[in-house]
Amino acid sequence: MAFAPMSLVMRHVCAVAVWLIGCLAMARSAGAQAPDPSTLEKPDLVQPLPNPIASFVSMPVTFNPEQSAGSVTTKEAQRACDGCPPRRVGMSLLQTTGINVVYGLGNLARGQVTGRITPKTWWANMQMGLVWDLDDFTVNQIGHPYQGSNYFTAGRANGLTFYESAAVTAFGSATWEFFGETNHASLNDFINTTLGGITLGEMFHRAGWLIRNTRATGKRRLWSEIGATAVDPITGLNRVASGDWSRVSDKPSDFIPSSLGGVASAGVLWRGSQSTAFTAVGDPFLEVDLYYGDTNTGRSRTPYDAFWMRLRFGGGSAFSEARVRGRLFGQPIRKGGLQFSVIQTYNYQTNDAYSTGSQAIDAAIGTTLQLSQRTNFWILGWGGLTVLGAVDSLPLGVTEKPKDETPSAGQGISEGPRFYDYGPGSDFGMLARLTHDGRDRALFFYVGRQIYSLDGVRANHFLQHARVDLLLPLRGSLGLGVSAEYFDRRSYYQDVAGTTLKYHYPQVRAYFTWQRR
Amino acid sequence: MKSLGMCVVLVCLIPARALAQAAQPPAPSSGLWIVAGAASGTLRGHCQDCPQDFPFRHGGAVVGNAGYRVNARLSVGADLFWMQWRNESGRIRGTAIDAVAQFRPWESQGFFVKGGAGMALVRNWVQTLGPNPDDSKALAVVIGGGWEFNPKGRLGLQLFAMQHVGALGDLQTVNGPVADVTANFWSLGAAIVIR
Repeated sequence: MAFAPMSLVMRHVCAVAVWLIGCLAMARSAGAQAPDPSTLEKPDLVQPLPNPIASFVSMPVTFNPEQSAGSVTTKEAQRACDGCPPRRVGMSLLQTTGINVVYGLGNLARGQVTGRITPKTWWANMQMGLVWDLDDFTVNQIGHPYQGSNYFTAGRANGLTFYESAAVTAFGSATWEFFGETNHASLNDFINTTLGGITLGEMFHRAGWLIRNTRATGKRRLWSEIGATAVDPITGLNRVASGDWSRVSDKPSDFIPSSLGGVASAGVLWRGSQSTAFTAVGDPFLEVDLYYGDTNTGRSRTPYDAFWMRLRFGGGSAFSEARVRGRLFGQPIRKGGLQFSVIQTYNYQTNDAYSTGSQAIDAAIGTTLQLSQRTNFWILGWGGLTVLGAVDSLPLGVTEKPKDETPSAGQGISEGPRFYDYGPGSDFGMLARLTHDGRDRALFFYVGRQIYSLDGVRANHFLQHARVDLLLPLRGSLGLGVSAEYFDRRSYYQDVAGTTLKYHYPQVRAYFTWQRR
Repeated sequence: MKSLGMCVVLVCLIPARALAQAAQPPAPSSGLWIVAGAASGTLRGHCQDCPQDFPFRHGGAVVGNAGYRVNARLSVGADLFWMQWRNESGRIRGTAIDAVAQFRPWESQGFFVKGGAGMALVRNWVQTLGPNPDDSKALAVVIGGGWEFNPKGRLGLQLFAMQHVGALGDLQTVNGPVADVTANFWSLGAAIVIR
């Protein structure tokens, strides 16, 4: 079960704090192993000190390779490649436990009664098993996946593979649920933290490697490492502790995407409602898409060698959309005419028709048609299973969510009622894209989700979203776009009367776009 | 009790098997991953708004895995867990079928962790809540861990502790709906591993 709402900033700070403590301890031990000053005169090799703090003040120091050969060989032998981190399974589990300790201390520092853990509360949680919790939608659908991403990157930062790091994430999630809080362990948190943590963790980890320039030195290197650490703090701080922060090496080939592109769109959107067409006043929005690798082609057995990420800010709420679709498996079929992929997805979306979040695994099939030398048409269809989805829902007979009341229980304890439901389900959709000279000219997107509510009001929720975009290049990377969208929701309640509720609304946008592919 | 006795016998056989394997080089293993065994299980139900505290109930359980060995440390496949127990109303059966991954962090050591999700079927479950027997499908999650003896050979043995969770949702009974029912199954047992 979760802590009471904790901002992402606070979580980020907690994650950083645990690593600062670890880094100080490791930097001290690295300092203790610093080379003998008498060897500084040997001119052959010039390398920065393992202590990163020293390297930041530009103190290149020579060292005796013979003297340090033993330790270097042992460390290098654990690396899968020159630029890869040393493989340390035990350390990844220890760091995951450390992350839990820091999150727990953060809860205590904020006066949350759920942080007052004792062996008695551990035993009580183990006796109760996993149950559903009553926490806030954003905490469960964004906060927990983010916490899970810290566990995942602890695995990746210690040289573990994607799937090994996934196991570390499950370990971190389970230990937090049973031992990190006085609340009973939560089934939905366990799933969201583990699956969401894997998706967000690998995305953050790869994004960090995009920023990091391991061939650079000096200030350029420093800022690239700081930038990467802001995105993936656990890896960054591990690199500080190990000295990799300043070590010159090749970037691991696994983290160099086959292609890279990004689109930023900023403009205004106008929302309709159940009964009226559009509001007179538009809402500003910013939407960012990252295309890492090419999900449309190639045989792939490396998870997330290609992924797509979308974030949208504004447009009705401060943060209205987050989607990540990472390829786990890719296989061309029919001599490359079709592309089959298995995709892991993280989804968070809030709009006037519904708020939903889900963790899913999809199978997708797509093809690219070359219409002319300069024009391509790509179409993709997918379908899959939603392991756990959340959707906002009011109890039957209630038309409006009541205002939050002051909790009577201690701070951090969620008493409910909760106005969203949980359950497994399915999803399906299609995407079509027309490009000219490598730039998008028209897009069509459709996604349908079905969530069968197990926790909450028993119902089948069917959510649909369709969107068409038309784009016009202006100058350079700049372009102009318009889009039309339609949101539809049908909830089939399993009450005696067989109640069905329907919501729908249209939405249009006009925006400027900046595209780099 | 029978399953518990079976576990004890299997545990007693571990040293003999391990000693026999110690003298031999590890046999090359296939991509196959099969696990079959028995366990002693404990069940506890829970629902969000129920005033009563549900008791622990005990029974024998059968477990099985079938799947593919991705590499020396990771295996993926299906997990089957079947448990039967008795209460005042009679016999109740629970079955969980999950997609699972089993991971050994250290290749040379037998320690493993396991996790997955799938579907559970609970038969006659609501006899514990009301007089009308009913079947129910549930979202299932499994977590656990254990130790595998002879982890590199074709034939091995594992001791495990698992927790299966079945989230049944709201149940209709003659006494009215029961909200957000979950069942937790804890099991402790032994299984033979074939690779």
